[in-house]
Amino acid sequence: MNSPSASVALAAHLAMLSSISFGGFPSVLPDVHNFVAANGWVSDREFADFFAVSQVMPGPNMILMMSFVGLKVGGIPGAIASALATFGPPCVMYYMAYRLWDRFRDMPWQRIARRALAPLTIGLVIAGGYVMARAGDPGWPAAVVTAGAVVLMLRTRINPLWILTAGGVLGAFGFV
Amino acid sequence: MSQPVEPLSADEPVTLGELFVAFLKVSLCGFGGGLVWARRIVVERQQWMDEREFAETLTICQFMPGPNIVGITVCVGSKLRGAIGAVTAVAGFILLPWTIGLSLGGFVLQYAHFARLQNILGGLSAAAAGLLIATGIRLLMPHRGRWTTLLFAALAFAGMALTRLPLLVVLLGLAPLSIAVAGIESARA
Repeated sequence: MNSPSASVALAAHLAMLSSISFGGFPSVLPDVHNFVAANGWVSDREFADFFAVSQVMPGPNMILMMSFVGLKVGGIPGAIASALATFGPPCVMYYMAYRLWDRFRDMPWQRIARRALAPLTIGLVIAGGYVMARAGDPGWPAAVVTAGAVVLMLRTRINPLWILTAGGVLGAFGFV
Repeated sequence: MSQPVEPLSADEPVTLGELFVAFLKVSLCGFGGGLVWARRIVVERQQWMDEREFAETLTICQFMPGPNIVGITVCVGSKLRGAIGAVTAVAGFILLPWTIGLSLGGFVLQYAHFARLQNILGGLSAAAAGLLIATGIRLLMPHRGRWTTLLFAALAFAGMALTRLPLLVVLLGLAPLSIAVAGIESARA
């Protein structure tokens, strides 16, 4: 554990990053990594473990991952400061942007913008799934699991948690 | 474009408790991507938004910094109950799951190199990727009759998935084009 000033420095850096993290927090992960490595707070191995574990925890993954970093740097207060710095500034921006957007809901220009921007968003969501499916270059069994999950989700009313569980079980027995 | 759908919960205000619990669920279920659950709960279960409004809200969030899923939480809370709704929804999303995650994660981290655990993570993430793709396809369904929508969705997909350009570059490159096309279509209609 380091001095409280380390937690403050980390939180300040995270607050700055979260304010410019267009495209979600994963886009600024390399920067966080450089910052904590340069300060000697977290090793490469620890950083990778934080990522893997935060991905399988329920809840807000990136906030949790930054809290693991904060926990290592400054204990529980460090973890809380890191969490607040990660989601606080974007929350304020989201709120103000939504109010503004809502106020002009009936303007013709906004209808055009809505109609034009929705397809981009949808394309990006599908791309997110594709990139995740390709991450780490898994073999064809993983591709089959992904395709199976797509079909089950679209064609049935199965609770997605069962689909995830099936994926985890197949993985546990070495099929993926 | 069809008329915007009336808010489904217009006459009966949603309680803060309902908001808190809904986003607590989104958060607790959100392995590998809360978006799947946010859409399922907000659109299918509670019917607080329709597919179109959900996609639009997601769009606003994608143009802003920060975790998009937190953005959805803020927007839905704000739409239903204003500022206090936004704070309640975010509290539901973060408080309890964060506490559980930090305690449980701190424990699991001691066993992170265990091979069986790595395998489970692999299977989980493959399935989670499929759920995310399916969520995107669902969001596309209301637009399937309009070919320019399909075109721009495909371009955004290609820009992000195949070229690995930064998100901001993809959005700022495609948005003006897409707006121009929608403007022309709207002028003709």
